[in-house]
Amino acid sequence: MTAHLDSGTNPSAQLPRIGLDEPVHPGGPVGYDQLDDHELLRLHVAGNPDTFGILVKRHRDRMWAVAIRTLGEPEEAADALQEAFISAFRRADSFRGDAKVTTWLHRIVVNACLDRIRRRQVRQADPLPEDEDRAAELAGPVEEDAAEVRERRLDVLNALKQINSDQRSALVLVDMEGYSIEEAAAILGCAPGTVKSRCARGRARLLPLLRHWQTTRGGSDDSDLPSKTAAESVGTE
Amino acid sequence: MTESGLPTSEHLEHLDTDTIADLLENLLPATEAHSAREHVKACPDCQLTYDALLELSEDLADEGRADIPMPVDVAEHLDAVIRAEAVMRSSTVGVHSLAQIREEPHRHMPKLFGAAAAVVLIAAIGVGVVMATKDRAGENAANTNPTAIQPTGVVSLSTAQIAPQVQKWLENSSTPLLNGSAAELTCARTFAAARPNPVVRLVQPAKVDGTRATVIGLQGGSPRDIEVYVLTGCDGGGSAGTSIYDTTVTLRNR
Repeated sequence: MTAHLDSGTNPSAQLPRIGLDEPVHPGGPVGYDQLDDHELLRLHVAGNPDTFGILVKRHRDRMWAVAIRTLGEPEEAADALQEAFISAFRRADSFRGDAKVTTWLHRIVVNACLDRIRRRQVRQADPLPEDEDRAAELAGPVEEDAAEVRERRLDVLNALKQINSDQRSALVLVDMEGYSIEEAAAILGCAPGTVKSRCARGRARLLPLLRHWQTTRGGSDDSDLPSKTAAESVGTE
Repeated sequence: MTESGLPTSEHLEHLDTDTIADLLENLLPATEAHSAREHVKACPDCQLTYDALLELSEDLADEGRADIPMPVDVAEHLDAVIRAEAVMRSSTVGVHSLAQIREEPHRHMPKLFGAAAAVVLIAAIGVGVVMATKDRAGENAANTNPTAIQPTGVVSLSTAQIAPQVQKWLENSSTPLLNGSAAELTCARTFAAARPNPVVRLVQPAKVDGTRATVIGLQGGSPRDIEVYVLTGCDGGGSAGTSIYDTTVTLRNR
């Protein structure tokens, strides 16, 4: 077991280890990457100090998407994720093995974001400040995405920032993250009817902000364009 | 002319978007829902809005399936936080990260032997009473082995303790110690960016003589020298900190 480490000079080679007996690379423990989420979490609960970090790396872009959509501000999203992952780290033993790890993590992240929104609502009744300089930062590193994907992502993030946070939370959970109305109601601590209503009104607010998406998506039927403009005027009257 | 905002089908009184969205969610009372549905069938404009709302949900679902790459600085900070959490846990249960052991072997042996003291210290820091309760046992634990763990939370210090404490923290860490919220880190980096040498080695939330402050350490002129600043105004998410104290420490093991 100690053969992987420089046992001659490294006293810590004698330290207790829990986890896989894998060769050690300078870049980090290998082998863990091949393990599924359940196994990584199980090893973490058993005391392995490395596997939770691998879980975080594996799912952070997914969780970042949830946090940034729900909160709108990168600083807030970063703080919420930090809270969420520390909370998950500490209470990993409460994870029930029959669920997906991502579902569990997702729920913790959503709750951390909602907590921040509630605290923010207590602190200030103002809407979020518009900050155009942030917009590019929100959409992530340039090189990773095609311009179109990036633009769409920015559009939706900016549009979401313009509706109120109750409607935004409901829409992110139901329309974007695929929670059922009942699940979203349980997470948000309100009646299913309230979630439906927030979703409906949120969509009505978003529609004029994102309408240009649909004309590009439809592509072929350009003839719709003028009448869509007319319909928009109906929506905003 | 559609640009004027006049409805194209003037004989119909259009439904507003809220009503159509409510119709889609079955939120309208039965009679209202019935007439709204009839209207949508008969009115091309409202039918378009109806279809557009349906499509919006699909588009949001599509977009929702996409991940968004976490910015590099956020990811690095998160990694550091998780590593620190693992170190703290290992200090209490005696299990060590292979990555940590490889990177910083010198740190771990004393830590293991000082585990008892570390447990006391972690317990004290964990509930944030190390300075408040000033009982002798707590003080002894903090003084005999203050470097048993990396600093966590908000560390209480007097001005006189800053230099020796920073020296101990950094002598025991081969990597930068970046603690605190993302906002506090950003504020510290903003401060650092205006200095001649903006390499940040330490960011630590602290109470200095009772004042909430941020202790930051910047690389000095040589690898051994660390310029230490105590900033106020970074903790509340402020964009700029004000230095209330500065000093330079020299690391003995560089």
